[in-house]
Amino acid sequence: MIQSLSGPVDTRPWWQKLVQNYTLRTFVQSLFTVWAVITFVFFLIRLMPGNPVEIYVNYLMNTENLTYQDAYNRAASQFKFDPDASVVQQYFVYLGQLLRGDMGESITSTGTKVSSQILRYLPWTVFCVGSALLISFLLGMLLGMLAAYFRNTWVDNVISFLASIVSAVPDYIWAILILIIFGVQLKWFNVGDMRGTYDPATPPGFNLPFILSALQHAILPITTYVLGSIGRWVLAMRGSTTSTLGEDYVNIARARGLKQNRIMTAYVGRNAALPLFTLLAISIGFVLGGSVIVEEAFVYKGLGSFLFWSISQRDYTSMQGVLLIITIAVVFSNMLADLLYSRLDPRVRVTGDK
Amino acid sequence: MKRSLLLSLIVGVFLSLPAFAQTVNVAWPYQLPPDGHYNTYASGAINLGIYRDLMEPPLAVYMWSKGEYEGMAAESFGFDADGNYTVTLVSGYTWSDGSPITSADLVATFNTGYLIGWSVWDNLESVEAVDEQTAKFTLGEPSLATERLILTQNLTPASVYGSFGEKGAALKASGAASDSDEFKAALEELTTFRPESLVSGSAYVLDDVADAKAHLSKNPGGINADKVAFEDVVAWNGETETVFPLLQDGQLWYATHGLAPAQEEALINAGLDIIRNPYYSGPAVYFNNKVEPLNNPVFRQAIAYIIDREENGFVSLGESGIATDYMAGVSDTILKTYVSEDVLDSLNPYYVDFDKATELLESLGYSKGSDGSWVDGSGNKLAFELTFPAEYADWSAAAENAAQALNDFGIEITARGVQFQQHVQDVYDGNFELAIRDWGAGSPFPYESYLVPFRRYNGQGELAGEGAGGGMSFDNNVTYSGGEINLLDLTVASSQGTDLDKIKADVTELAKAYNELLPAVPLWERYGNNALNRGSLSVPENGDPIYQNAGLDHFMPYMILTGMAKPAE
Amino acid sequence: MRTFWPLLWQNKVGLIGFIGLVFYLLLITVFQWMVGFDNEVKLDQINSPPGSRLVLLTRPEDKDSYTKLQDLVGHKVGILEKSGAPTFLEKSNVEGLEVETYRWRSGRGVPESLEALAAGEVDALIIFSKLVRRYVLDPSSRDYKVSLSHLTVSNPKLGPALLLGADTQGRDMFTHVINGGRILIITAIMAGLISTAIAFILGTVAALAGGIVDRILVAIANFIIVIPRFPLLIVLAAMITLNNWLLLATLIGLLAWPALMRAIRAQVLSLRERDYVEAAMALDLSRMHIIFREILPNMMGFVVINFVVAITTAMYDQIGLIFLGMAPINDYTWGVMLYFGRSRGTLFNIDSAAMLLAPVLAIAFFQVCLVLFSRALEEAFDPRLRGAA
Repeated sequence: MIQSLSGPVDTRPWWQKLVQNYTLRTFVQSLFTVWAVITFVFFLIRLMPGNPVEIYVNYLMNTENLTYQDAYNRAASQFKFDPDASVVQQYFVYLGQLLRGDMGESITSTGTKVSSQILRYLPWTVFCVGSALLISFLLGMLLGMLAAYFRNTWVDNVISFLASIVSAVPDYIWAILILIIFGVQLKWFNVGDMRGTYDPATPPGFNLPFILSALQHAILPITTYVLGSIGRWVLAMRGSTTSTLGEDYVNIARARGLKQNRIMTAYVGRNAALPLFTLLAISIGFVLGGSVIVEEAFVYKGLGSFLFWSISQRDYTSMQGVLLIITIAVVFSNMLADLLYSRLDPRVRVTGDK
Repeated sequence: MKRSLLLSLIVGVFLSLPAFAQTVNVAWPYQLPPDGHYNTYASGAINLGIYRDLMEPPLAVYMWSKGEYEGMAAESFGFDADGNYTVTLVSGYTWSDGSPITSADLVATFNTGYLIGWSVWDNLESVEAVDEQTAKFTLGEPSLATERLILTQNLTPASVYGSFGEKGAALKASGAASDSDEFKAALEELTTFRPESLVSGSAYVLDDVADAKAHLSKNPGGINADKVAFEDVVAWNGETETVFPLLQDGQLWYATHGLAPAQEEALINAGLDIIRNPYYSGPAVYFNNKVEPLNNPVFRQAIAYIIDREENGFVSLGESGIATDYMAGVSDTILKTYVSEDVLDSLNPYYVDFDKATELLESLGYSKGSDGSWVDGSGNKLAFELTFPAEYADWSAAAENAAQALNDFGIEITARGVQFQQHVQDVYDGNFELAIRDWGAGSPFPYESYLVPFRRYNGQGELAGEGAGGGMSFDNNVTYSGGEINLLDLTVASSQGTDLDKIKADVTELAKAYNELLPAVPLWERYGNNALNRGSLSVPENGDPIYQNAGLDHFMPYMILTGMAKPAE
Repeated sequence: MRTFWPLLWQNKVGLIGFIGLVFYLLLITVFQWMVGFDNEVKLDQINSPPGSRLVLLTRPEDKDSYTKLQDLVGHKVGILEKSGAPTFLEKSNVEGLEVETYRWRSGRGVPESLEALAAGEVDALIIFSKLVRRYVLDPSSRDYKVSLSHLTVSNPKLGPALLLGADTQGRDMFTHVINGGRILIITAIMAGLISTAIAFILGTVAALAGGIVDRILVAIANFIIVIPRFPLLIVLAAMITLNNWLLLATLIGLLAWPALMRAIRAQVLSLRERDYVEAAMALDLSRMHIIFREILPNMMGFVVINFVVAITTAMYDQIGLIFLGMAPINDYTWGVMLYFGRSRGTLFNIDSAAMLLAPVLAIAFFQVCLVLFSRALEEAFDPRLRGAA
């Protein structure tokens, strides 16, 4: 009865509804993408030159000065890794494991669950990069809109200039400059105390000292992330807003005598932000990946440096685990973005099959 | 004199205790739990590299300048009349879990090592306790190399690894193959074993591991605990770029992380000292012998004459990149102790000499074209690719400089950086033309240096499985002016026995052949540029013989343990 | 386009960007032929700061008598081997100097030559300013050996100044910056064009066509976005080497398009429902007409700015490929300069930081010029903007 009030009655049978349900189809498609990616990744990482044993041999020889013989014996006996095992067979074993929700054990850290490794690093990365992305995105949108709104004035010039410069400087340089100039030279902070994710003196727990310590330790990495990424948001938002400014409905709104504020937020901002939300969705997925350079510079141990470490050790199972998490995050945040378009812009009908 | 000593003592007692820093700050990268752990026999153990000695005592440290071992956990040691080896441990010390340090620990250590394939077992029959502190090592045959493998080992507690030691001993006695089920089961049990903590027998015990730093406090019952000058040790986590700001800020006192000249200079400007200790190794140009004419010794000699090795060393590592004079495949310092003066004088130093290089290349039928590049008889350019590990600051600089020198001379070189783990693999697989890899080794025995070109990079290593190439494909059966020899066999021979004169003769022959054939062209010897903050840490001046120690005998843990390293006044 | 030039003239900021781009164009075409490439290793000049140069050092009593090379004819001049002095002497063509060459000896030759001058073995020394600072002028320096009361700089401007200092091999970095732009910029523009074009075409097609085409294109984009770059490039590097900048550009372009494609698709999905597009569709105008006449102008600002960002990204992607060994270091681009600068820790030393900062700033200002210039482009393509706001 209620249905009939809100529109024409849907007379399709339940199975047809199910098959034609846009959300469901998007979900299935996303699952398929995840499967395709993990399959590709599974074979890709085994194509990388070297394997865990060879890498560990070199490591032992370099750091512990072992003879080649000694190092090889030690490495070969350490890992449950057989270089001659069939890769295809391993693949099906891996898929079977995944279906049971098991990511397996790390190769180089024998006996350690990949899931426990990921859980160790994931929260810090999500917290740090997530906050940085949020700050960068919101601040970037605001500045980009300001620049577009004051097109060709000094505000625009300054914002565009700074954004261009900032976005063209790699985060490596920001990290080092922050540490050396503000830490070592100007002594604004103690470079030793700012390292790590939290102060060992305040063990993790839901209490104020720990939260303050975690916040304090995240300030530098967040600053670096924001510096490294905000320029692009500003430039993209400015470009997008400029395009929107010329739209008819904006002119009509102006002609109707609507207040500038209202035009900017309700008409321009909303439409201009649309493509940026797509980029944001993609970035949200990559939040989990973190940034190796920033994490290493501040010894902020997150998933990024863990992934890099497992790649460099050719720890296939750990690598697969992290990449799976990242893949799921990216694919599903994209899916959500797709589904949200219609909410953000009622005119969009992504569901339409012609 | 007496009075001032007394005065300083009194002042010292009253002022020093509260005022002096009691924590020594060093650095070593490590992985965090759960990847990092406290099973010292499994990969990923948090044992802090060279600073492992601070927790698990080494039996002895080889003093390079004296050419003899100094006991640490071992009180006395030596070959018996029957050719076997006996080690007696110091007595009266305890592990951090309260158990005493006895010969049972020695037995457990080596038998556990059997499970993970220590090469000392190639020449070791068994290890048995003789009395409370003494154990006897029954050897296949007496050997100086085996002695080093025994004495440089770190002692681990029987209270933790005893059961694994028993399994190892039983497997050794039964002669079970390493791929048998019982062997594999024992091994898996060992590598997945995760003890709660790292039980220490040395002066310090690891009590906190955070991502930024690891903390060690004094282990009161441990060996050397009565000698050390510091209450605590902090080991900062991270690689060069990560620890650099700490060095510059004065929070980190000593780091063995290789510094580039620009970084070194910045630290000197910040008031730090640089310790230039020999590593007895460095970068060399390796040749793929499957590529003509890289298989020709005369051509390789020409290359050696073209590259200015002194310049190459200086641009790569500043004052720590020292060109070698003997070009014999072993560090000059080590070679001097094995080879007589007149043989050393007869070795060709290959000082840069373009005329000589031209002469050699022309003798091979090459000529210099009008555009300045060398061509063979049919007009093909001499052109090669030189690869190097892209991440290594000093080697990449050496490659850039060498490529430049060869290009200027008219041999066309394309230089290409390769991700460092892939690069070594490429060389193992023979997938290169010219490559920068290491020569020499931080061992007082030259055989370890010679194994590098003749076995490790020559495709005859155990990695040469299916699909693997032959490394540099250098034929170890060579003819040189001294006759016909097999270089690998001679190298292995020089690692055996206790007859020093025979070893010296073998090494002399190897050196002469290497110098003539140049299987790889050594560019320079790497000396350390370890940053040291003398404002905080008091250790002997640069040039002290202790700094000749290298490899497993690194001087900093030795100096901390023996009290030579003290807080600066 | 007829209105472009007057527009550019009115848009001062766009004009500045345009002039900057012309400068970069000259940089990669004309300037590099005017300024050679310094490839000479000079051990005395390693990691030296901007403005440093060869100076003339004498004993205080000779301060006024020896200030030029000509003053030294018939006298003994000391130089260091493997330093910049031998080439400088050769170029200066002053005859009749008695030249005494001191060996470098891993740097130990420097204090030896200074002491020789103080002892009167030579009358003057041609030496690099950085060494003078370290060995003579700065008493707090660890290497301070000879005090000013024994030696004096009689001519602080003997040799030409190094505008940006010298790199880790003592080579003039100014010549490297001038020479290092061409391949990097061309490849980056090429790669940016490829990725932006793919993103625009596929994004528009996906949004307009919808249905199965849309699904497949989005799936491909998602797939490429998610493939981890580092392992992929390591594997590719083991299989192929890129000696050709066109291949390099293609590879970078092919990996870079998906994110932008998704953003453009979102934009077109929205534009599709506009009256003028629907009208065009109802009139059955060709797809090409709709895409390039109705849709492109309405998102020009967004596309252009992303093209600009794509160019900068492509530059850094190239540098990443140098780290992975996919691109050789023989073409000494800003990327190679950055690579060596970074791997050799030059950012940690104020004297040598220019080796990293100069190429980064060169890239950054290139992006600034592009961004500023793109404003003029926006107005040229989107006439509606001219009067607005």
